[in-house]
Amino acid sequence: MSGAVMAEKRVFMTGNEVVAWAAVAARADVMYGYPITPQNEVMHYWTRLAPKHGKIFLQTEDELSAGFATIGGVLAGKKCFTATAGPGNVLMQEPVSMAEMMRLPVVVVVMQRGGPSTATVIYSQQEVTLTTFGGNGEGFRVVYSTAGLQELYDHTIKAFNTAWRYRFPVFVLADGYQAKMREPLTVYDPVERGIEPVAPEPYVGRPGKPGADRPPGHYRNTYNTEEELYAVVLEQAAEYERVAPEIVEHEESGAEGAAVLVVAHGVVARAAKQAVELLRAEGLKAGYFRPVTLRPLPAEALRTAAGRAGRLLVVESAYGQFARLVRDALYGLTVDVVPLYKPGLGITAEEIASRCRELAASSARTE
Amino acid sequence: MERKRSIKIVVAGEGGQGVQAVAEILAEAAYEDGAQALYIPAFGVEQRGGVSLAFLQISDQPVAAPKFEKGDIVVALSERAVRRTRQYVGPETVFIYDGLAEIKEEELPRTARRILNIPAVAVARAELHPRVFNIVIMGAVIGATRVVPVDQAKKALEKRLGYKFEQDPKLRELNHRALERGVELVDGILKGGGN
Repeated sequence: MSGAVMAEKRVFMTGNEVVAWAAVAARADVMYGYPITPQNEVMHYWTRLAPKHGKIFLQTEDELSAGFATIGGVLAGKKCFTATAGPGNVLMQEPVSMAEMMRLPVVVVVMQRGGPSTATVIYSQQEVTLTTFGGNGEGFRVVYSTAGLQELYDHTIKAFNTAWRYRFPVFVLADGYQAKMREPLTVYDPVERGIEPVAPEPYVGRPGKPGADRPPGHYRNTYNTEEELYAVVLEQAAEYERVAPEIVEHEESGAEGAAVLVVAHGVVARAAKQAVELLRAEGLKAGYFRPVTLRPLPAEALRTAAGRAGRLLVVESAYGQFARLVRDALYGLTVDVVPLYKPGLGITAEEIASRCRELAASSARTE
Repeated sequence: MERKRSIKIVVAGEGGQGVQAVAEILAEAAYEDGAQALYIPAFGVEQRGGVSLAFLQISDQPVAAPKFEKGDIVVALSERAVRRTRQYVGPETVFIYDGLAEIKEEELPRTARRILNIPAVAVARAELHPRVFNIVIMGAVIGATRVVPVDQAKKALEKRLGYKFEQDPKLRELNHRALERGVELVDGILKGGGN
């Protein structure tokens, strides 16, 4: 926790580079990683930056190991993270399940690629189900879905604070586009902006005699009885639900009286936002809603927005993974939900706008 | 600086032609010129071979999506690149290709608003050096769009290749000349009503 780690400046860099810089700014200590496209350069940039800031990198033998090593580092009281994608994210779910069980603040950056399996190394939003609810648990984790490189910087910093404050695993969910594209952003030292990094503390090896000087550190991922586990999971559920309102984030505009409310997340939300601006300039009543957190989902805000809109157009580069989260949040409302699914494919503002025009025209005919 | 700009560019060619460098240097120049710029390479699992594509958007407003449907400028530097980029050519597109790059006339996208045959390979070979062929193309893109001032492009070149220029100042001159020739080639065609 020394002075400024980074002078505020305008930069033009790729998302992978942004993550490495943000991790330095967030006072992360160690990255454990295993290479997979499109996140490789997170590791590459981190290994360049790390020695200058007295930080560590370890390449493990696979993503299981990277995840468990991250857990080990966290137990030792270090701010640790890893980055992965696609099949690597599948393997990552086992260590993240353990982190969930033991309430460990691991941070995982995901650059979504096409799926299932090896598929493409390029881009998708097909890791939404996996990242929000993967693992053999209840999905007690936080997932930030970023829509550009400034947000990727801001939310990577935020991810460490959310993790250490609430002690749930935190994902920063981006994609191959954000990983590989270059655009302008401002990097800064969060401390200079009044964002105090939450200090890590060790789980194991703390001073004093356990049971005498301090309570014993008893971190379990194994339980003997159904009742024991039931109590623990219920307690975690209550805690997750208690803190969820403090964590949820969303962005919206023009939902009130919108004939069509476009709902999107991540990089697709950029296109959605522009489409809505285009449509409004044409006089069409279009609105925009974007959850920034996919877990916990800003369900109340979404229900309110949806309740005021004529129809919802859910747009995603996957076949309904995000729409499932949306529909679940909307349960009981009668609003019509129309899909625009492009699994593994980028989506432009123009195609969202033309779908909205079709919808507006068809509802005009039926009225 | 009251310029209104919003331009979408696709550059495509064979691996090794320096396609990504063209887009990246232009993006850097636009960024340094105070514009919003978003550059993204298309990439696949291949380590080499295949068509290399770069998507570049330069605007006064923040850029929405990383990719787009139709380019204002589409540059194709090989026959495969012509085929690969066809989907990005619309009625408003200026299509730039190199006549020496073994591209058949009938492969050209007739939907384009304008098709410019830029003899970048020939000019680079005859007057400069074959290696600066991509910089001639970069000049042509600047000539066709005026999206960044030539001086700003030179600064971006300096940032990327400055260390090489220090070792051999002739390289700097060669690259600057290539850039200027690219601009001239387009100016010549547009003024002369050629193509």
